Amino acid sequence: MSRVAALYRRFPTLLIARRNLTRTTARTTLAVLGIVIGVVAIASLGVFGSVLQTAAVGNLGDIGNQVVVGPNSEEGVTSLSERDVREIREASGDAGVVPIKQSRGTVEYGGVSRMTSVYGISNPAAAFNASSGRIPDPLRGGALVGASLAEDLDVRAGNSITVDNRTYRVRAVLAEQGGFSPLNVGAGVVVPAEQVNSTGIQQVVVQTETGSAANATAQAIRASVNDREERVTITEFSQITEQIDSFFDTLSLFLIGIGSISLVVAGVSILNVMLMSTIERREEIGVLRAVGYQRLDVVKILLTEASLLGVLGGVVGVGLSVVAGAAIAQVALGDPTAALSPEAAVYYLAGFFFGVVTSALSGLYPAWKAARERPVDALRS
Amino acid sequence: MGSDGAPVVDATGLVKRYESGGGYLEALKGVDITIERGEFVAVMGPSGSGKSTLLNLLGLLDEPTEGAVRIDGRDTADLSDAERTRARKQTIGFVFQDFYLIPTLTALENVEVPALLDRDPETRGRAADLLGRVGLGDRTDHLPSELSGGQKQRVAIARSLVNEPRLLLADEPTGNLDRETGRTVLDEFTRITEAGVAVVAVTHDPQVPKYTDRTVDMLDGELEP
Repeated sequence: MSRVAALYRRFPTLLIARRNLTRTTARTTLAVLGIVIGVVAIASLGVFGSVLQTAAVGNLGDIGNQVVVGPNSEEGVTSLSERDVREIREASGDAGVVPIKQSRGTVEYGGVSRMTSVYGISNPAAAFNASSGRIPDPLRGGALVGASLAEDLDVRAGNSITVDNRTYRVRAVLAEQGGFSPLNVGAGVVVPAEQVNSTGIQQVVVQTETGSAANATAQAIRASVNDREERVTITEFSQITEQIDSFFDTLSLFLIGIGSISLVVAGVSILNVMLMSTIERREEIGVLRAVGYQRLDVVKILLTEASLLGVLGGVVGVGLSVVAGAAIAQVALGDPTAALSPEAAVYYLAGFFFGVVTSALSGLYPAWKAARERPVDALRS
Repeated sequence: MGSDGAPVVDATGLVKRYESGGGYLEALKGVDITIERGEFVAVMGPSGSGKSTLLNLLGLLDEPTEGAVRIDGRDTADLSDAERTRARKQTIGFVFQDFYLIPTLTALENVEVPALLDRDPETRGRAADLLGRVGLGDRTDHLPSELSGGQKQRVAIARSLVNEPRLLLADEPTGNLDRETGRTVLDEFTRITEAGVAVVAVTHDPQVPKYTDRTVDMLDGELEP
């Protein structure tokens, strides 16, 4: 006995229900198509929202994960002391703390010179990524060139450049920073901290893993460094990114709401199909009742039929949604695999689930109506 | 359950009234009938005489307005819908005039239908046996649309027997068949009665009484003496 036959032996209602769907193929196909459209609407609109969110958060870059501490000039503080940095380090726990000295200087390469910002950072690897070359940790010799300056001067890792009449070997060209960041070194150059002629530290960047960690770190710094006087200003954007996240969650829900309208319409069409089908099969159902099928058995058969429509529509719908999601992700992110992320998978599951539930619910009334009829009335032709 | 000697079905004082327009239509006006085990009874009479109504009452498909139907000596008046359904399944087989086979199931599956939900692994063998007995052993995988009228009727008879009933109710079993096929069906009924199954056939067909143990005539909702 084949596996399908064995399945039907075990679930005889499934056999009757499946065969019943084959008798009006066109009608069944149209009802399934309705569910397919509904599932695709829910799943792909949901994926669309989630892709939009990923794209928007990607554009914001690391903004939400960074805390920037600077001297509070209103209180007459012009630079941060070693003691401030120590306190910031203590308050930040495991997060990378990057103190930055800053001045202006002339960068020369290949006979071209540019006036740019010169940053003195001893541990830039904690806050920056290289697009070529490697960032030494700590940075003791050599220089790192910002992406736009490197392009401007046509500098590559391994070249030698002159900064304020001192010659450096370029260790790395920094990766372009996505979106905007409180600290943008794209047009500048980074050298070891002790080689910057500046009186003190102008900025400390704390790089955390998540937005909520950034928020917590900012509060810890505020509590310890600004304990007695407001020595430093603390800038962090995690709340902004949280608000952006919550906006996109609302947007996704709204889009799904629109999608579910089409699923409701599909449910009405299944209701119609099932009702027609039970009216046409009135006598057959009467015979089933006469030969000993209980009302509940009839309900089960018809609900199985309706659910099969939903499962069929759900499977096809999810398949199409993955394709549509991949297309959306390709256009918005340039990465079609984003359509298979766990966030997107939730929407496929939700689409499938609502598709099946809508179908089963739509089958409920016709099933109840057919089961309630007395066999003698059904058979009186 | 009744004792072994009790008739399969015993009906007394059956009255069935339908509301029609302002008044009542009386389809049965007090019918008494007793069917013993293995008895073959034909119920004859013109259209509208109440034959089908009687058959529906005996088969627990409908409830009498007055009177009682006892199956195996047990009164059925107070049974719930689920209990009546169970009693039909255990005791009664039906053969309908229009066969009412399920068009999407094969001949064999149609025979299995009454027992399909029991998930009894022996059902299939019993169904195949029954199909063989009515001469359709080579048609098991045919759909009803691929069968002739006589073949469909024989599938319907096999279906009515799959739950091993003690009472078989047939509504115009030969009505849609030519004489030759009709005789095959009646022979089959005779064989069933020899196995102890009571058969009640409602019919117009004059050849039926030749096969039966007794024939009752109905007119205007009453049995003719």
